[in-house]
Amino acid sequence: MASALKKLSPPLPSQEPDEFDTLYRDHVDLIYRYAHRLCGETESAKDLVQETFLNAYRGLKNFRGEARLSTWLYTIASRACLRMRRKRKGEPEYELSLDELVPTSEGEFRLQIPVDELTPEEALQNKELRQALDQAIDALPKKYRMVLVLRDMEGLQAKEVGTIMGLNERAVKSRLHRARLFVRRELSARGIIDENDHKSGGLRS
Amino acid sequence: MTKKKSATTKKKQANPSSRHRPGQIHCLKLLRQLSAYIDGELPSDICQEIRSHLGDCPNCEVFILSLQQTVILCRHRPVPPLKSADRVALRRAILKKAIAK
Repeated sequence: MASALKKLSPPLPSQEPDEFDTLYRDHVDLIYRYAHRLCGETESAKDLVQETFLNAYRGLKNFRGEARLSTWLYTIASRACLRMRRKRKGEPEYELSLDELVPTSEGEFRLQIPVDELTPEEALQNKELRQALDQAIDALPKKYRMVLVLRDMEGLQAKEVGTIMGLNERAVKSRLHRARLFVRRELSARGIIDENDHKSGGLRS
Repeated sequence: MTKKKSATTKKKQANPSSRHRPGQIHCLKLLRQLSAYIDGELPSDICQEIRSHLGDCPNCEVFILSLQQTVILCRHRPVPPLKSADRVALRRAILKKAIAK
C-alpha cells in the first residue's frame, strides 16, 4: 500500500482516477455518515468531509499502511471535528460524572423508553423520540459523543476506537458507559408514560 | 488463588436472599458495570452475579432494559445518504483547495 500510495501524482479534477480518487470514492460515504452522526446536520457534515479529505490528500504520501485506511480517515475526521467545533463554538469540554448519571431514587430507576413491542426502526419513526435521541446525542460533550458514535453507531471495536482517539481500551469503555447512561437518562426523562401510552408507542415531553 | 477468593466473596455478596433497594451499594456497583455486561465483556462469574441481582431487584432489571434500548436506538439512528451532486462538488472543492496550496 505504501509503495502504491507513494506513486501518487498531483491530481487535477480532469485527471484519470488515481490513488486519491480511489481513497475518496471508497470512503466518502463512510466519512460523511460519521461526520453527520457527529455534527447532527448536513452542512457541518459536508464541511467536515471536506476538511478530512483535504488533510488526507496532504498526508497520503506519508501514510505507511500501519492502520487500515478507514481507521486513518476516522482519526483525521475526529481531530478535524475537535478543531472545527472548538473554533466555532468555543464550547468548554466537561466530564460526565458517573455519580450524577446513576439513579438514586426509585423513580429514576424505573424511567422507561417507549419502544417495547416495536422494532427500533418503528420506534424511531416517532418524530418525538427521534428528536429526543438527536438532542441527547448533541448534548453530549464531544469526546463522549465520539466514542458513542464510533462504538455504537459505526460499530467499531473498543481497541480501534482507542487507536482513533488516542485512548486505552479502559478509557474508551468508561467514556462509552457514561455516554450511554447520559443518553438513557435524557431519553427516559422524556418518556415517562403510563401503560396505555406505552402500548401505543407514545412519548411525553 | 487470590482471584478465586475474590470471586467467592462476590458470589456471597450476590446472595439473592438479601433484598436490594435503589441507592444501596450493590445496585450502584452493578450499574457501573452494565455497559460491559451488555457488551458481553465480563467474566462469567460476574455475569452470574448480575443475573442473580437482576432476578431479585426489579429496579435494576428495568434500568438495564432501558440502557439496552438506548444502545439499540443509537445503533439504528438513521443518517441521510450523501447526495451524488454533493459527492462530486465536495471532490472538486477538495482538489481545488489542495492544488491551490
